[in-house]
Amino acid sequence: MSERILEVRSLQKSFGAHEVLKNITFSVDAGEVICIIGSSGSGKSTLLRCINYLEEPTGGDILFHGKNVEKEWKRGEFLSKVGMVFQSFNLFANMSVMENCVIGQMRVLGRNRKDAEEKAVYYLEKVGMAPYRAARPGQLSGGQKQRVAIARALCMDPEVLLFDEPTSALDPEMVGEVLSVMKQLAEANLTMLIVTHEMSFARDVADRVIFMDQGVITEDAAPGELFTNPKQPRTREFLSRVISRQL
Amino acid sequence: MVRPTTFFQWVEFLLQQYGSLFLRGTGITLLVAITGTVLGFLLGLLVAIVRTIPVSRKDPWYKRIPLKIAQFLLGMYIEVFRGTPMMVQAMIIYYGAMQYLDLRMPVLVAAVVIVSINTGAYMAEIIRGGIISVDKGQKEAAYAMGLTHWQSMTGVVLPQAVRNIMPSIGNEFVVNIKDSSVLNVISVGELFFMSKSAAGTYLRYFEVFFITGCIYLVLTISITRILRLVEKKMDGKNHYTIYGSQSDSKSSITVADKEEA
Ligand SMILES: Nc1ncnc2c1ncn2[C@@H]1O[C@H](COP(=O)(O)OP(=O)(O)OP(=O)(O)O)[C@@H](O)[C@H]1O
Ligand SMILES: [Mg+2]
Repeated sequence: MSERILEVRSLQKSFGAHEVLKNITFSVDAGEVICIIGSSGSGKSTLLRCINYLEEPTGGDILFHGKNVEKEWKRGEFLSKVGMVFQSFNLFANMSVMENCVIGQMRVLGRNRKDAEEKAVYYLEKVGMAPYRAARPGQLSGGQKQRVAIARALCMDPEVLLFDEPTSALDPEMVGEVLSVMKQLAEANLTMLIVTHEMSFARDVADRVIFMDQGVITEDAAPGELFTNPKQPRTREFLSRVISRQL
Repeated sequence: MVRPTTFFQWVEFLLQQYGSLFLRGTGITLLVAITGTVLGFLLGLLVAIVRTIPVSRKDPWYKRIPLKIAQFLLGMYIEVFRGTPMMVQAMIIYYGAMQYLDLRMPVLVAAVVIVSINTGAYMAEIIRGGIISVDKGQKEAAYAMGLTHWQSMTGVVLPQAVRNIMPSIGNEFVVNIKDSSVLNVISVGELFFMSKSAAGTYLRYFEVFFITGCIYLVLTISITRILRLVEKKMDGKNHYTIYGSQSDSKSSITVADKEEA
């Protein structure tokens, strides 16, 4: 059995009176690729954002390597080990591609510039963006931006990478280039938690698929099982709706 | 010396007679405007940063309450200094310090202090607007990689905010060049004050202030142009180098700039 990296226990999140996450419990083992699917507004982004401190959970616990994230981890250290890739890329607009990849390494991990740049070039090469290291985000296409964003996250040597709909803001012809990078990461055994609407990617790449509905995990199973034999009627309904649209 | 008769003769005569006076006035106007704008910018930056620190109900009281009070007081400062004429502020600060604090400021110091505080109030709001206008995702990406609030502000948000408000900063600069003229009420020897004394001797108000107007115009236009160049510089090149492609030679491709396209 591989090591348990992340554990979410009875996570609850409300915005005012609106309860967006209700009693979410699941865990992530090292090397696992988990896709989270579900209809719009079901709380997928909020779940990732709670794991990553961008939203303050209103209840429950998150454990990282068995230690409570809020009480036993230094925030900066935890955040540097859990990377995030956003739907809208969020590359730092005032910096070159290279600076985007270097700033976190230097300021958070305390690496010197030379090491940081070496690492940046290494990962930029992996995602095929090394030639563009001097470009600014505004000079890149969406797919290129997202590949840089992935390299930027990898530069921090994260143990888990969170993706929030990484291809939803892309033109169709650029979706493939980003998914293929993510596929490579999966093959390299990086632990990933991916919110996505790309059902064929989830089916082919994920070790587990989590289906969320109105703030609750209603199904958590291997893709083969969840896609061919969904237990819940809501899952079945969602899948037939989405898959008929995508195929 | 022959007494000048035509407009141009007067202008030439006054320039010969009072050239050094105009020069000194121009120098002081520039000095007050530049230092006032720079110090005002720094002051405004500080005020805007404090005013945009997020206060959460979860923070302990000893952090939350002083911050709330500071934010309230800074709000008052902005209201007061934006809501009264700089001329009145000059009188109150200069004579107030003299009468009640027994502090006789050199007028030049007083001038810089007044312009800085006044500009700071405007800049604070301009910069706060700039900070708010930066896409929320930028800060989130910075937080998500573990940067602190301060590191995110200085490394990511403020550089973009300042770039976005450069035109407004230039505007404040131009306003300061012109509005430093109100400081003649406390006898600061800036351009307007010098012009008034030059005009008084021969009672040639039109000609003197024609020259004065030209000088102001040259100053403001130059400043605007210089700031344009600074903006260009901040934007960086509109093309970038592709590394390691065809053989070893660096090739460069040009990408059309959004604003210029
Ligand atoms: N900051 C916020 N304040 C109030 N309500 C919010 C906030 N953020 C999210 N919500 C609400 O929480 C619910 C879940 O939102 P969330 O973005 O997590 O959904 P999602 O599953 O990611 O949807 P999508 O597929 O459209 O991205 C929505 O009803 C949304 O309106
Ligand atoms: Mg979402």
